[in-house]
Amino acid sequence: MTGAVTAFDAIGTRWRITTGRVLTADERAAVDDLVEEYDRTFSRFRADSAVARLAATGGPVDLGRSAPALLGLLQRLAALTRGAMTPLIGGSLEHLGYDAGYRLAAAPGYRAAPPIESLHVDGSTATLTAPAVLDVGAAGKGQLVDLVLALLQGAGHTTCTVDAGGDLRIAGGPVRVALEHPFDPDAAIGVVTVADAAVAGSAPNRRRWTSPDGRRLHHVLDGRTGEPVDTVAATWAVAGTAMLADALATALFLVPPEELEPEFDFTWLRMATDGRAHWSPRLPAEVFA
Amino acid sequence: MNGRTAAATALGVAALGLLAGCTSTAQAAPAASPAGPAKDGTYRATGDYDTPGGPESVDVTLTVRSGVVTAVHVTGSHITPNAQHYQAAFESGISGVVVGKRLAGLSVGAVSGSSLTGQGFDQALDSIRVEAAK
Repeated sequence: MTGAVTAFDAIGTRWRITTGRVLTADERAAVDDLVEEYDRTFSRFRADSAVARLAATGGPVDLGRSAPALLGLLQRLAALTRGAMTPLIGGSLEHLGYDAGYRLAAAPGYRAAPPIESLHVDGSTATLTAPAVLDVGAAGKGQLVDLVLALLQGAGHTTCTVDAGGDLRIAGGPVRVALEHPFDPDAAIGVVTVADAAVAGSAPNRRRWTSPDGRRLHHVLDGRTGEPVDTVAATWAVAGTAMLADALATALFLVPPEELEPEFDFTWLRMATDGRAHWSPRLPAEVFA
Repeated sequence: MNGRTAAATALGVAALGLLAGCTSTAQAAPAASPAGPAKDGTYRATGDYDTPGGPESVDVTLTVRSGVVTAVHVTGSHITPNAQHYQAAFESGISGVVVGKRLAGLSVGAVSGSSLTGQGFDQALDSIRVEAAK
């Protein structure tokens, strides 16, 4: 869409908000406050966050108004994927060096995540019954996109696009969204056309690091083993909300799409590391294959 | 789709290793370098790997043009029951070998992908490279 573009860096990614008219100073401040509040609650990368307090104390910790929907979805996906995708993956990531200090210095071996039953959620309050680090990265960025979009719609922006580093939600449209080639950032493997919906992708290839013992690592892990998933190069999901699209893009690394299709309303594309792609017949896309 | 497609997907682990091998020969990559585009050419390799259904091997031939994989040919040694399960599952979707198009030639409003990684991560990689160069 054409319009006024507001760009900024937050929660470790590049944001790009496109609206029909320029954001007012008050609207811009409200967006900043919303992002800051979310980051202060859920960031695993800052010592003063609620999530860091939960990891340190075991809780109970109040994770705020966004927590019930977010944690509910992540718990549901943990059950559906039999623990492969889990919000308790934070300790496994820290083991590999993907920690608050971005040390990227992996300890030997892998650490499986504790069972999802170690996380108790009562409303917005979380409690851990075993040592664990909550990581909502699989769906949190998407939920924040939804929250920012809702804020802007409430301020009268009936058509807008909120794009957080390639996970985006569109009010209005249609907008053509290129699916970036996971092996080449200057190329696309297809284009989806989306109206009043969200697109999220996951491709860990450009966030790789190497352990002291030579293992090539990235941050999409199987919770049952704590090991990076190396059969899938990239995934995309198109869904009604960015939270759901974001979460399903990660889930597609861990289970076949057919296991998710009966449970959620979404379309998908999954590209394997050998260059082959599979996509849902209903995907609103032109795929260059 | 056919059995070869299903096998190729189930065998992604082996293929990734092969791809990584291609990239590392194409550039003198520092230890922490993210995967970059490979040089033009045809790459061929055989990989062995273990599956829950037993050991398998795979032959992969890749053709790279302008940094984009334009053709892939994969031959597996045999199809395990697990791979056959994958094959059945994938019949609900469409499949094909991805052929990239230059982004510059596409009229789009947004791009969904991984190139916009967080600054923190990129800075960490940069600092590791600096350390490695010392």
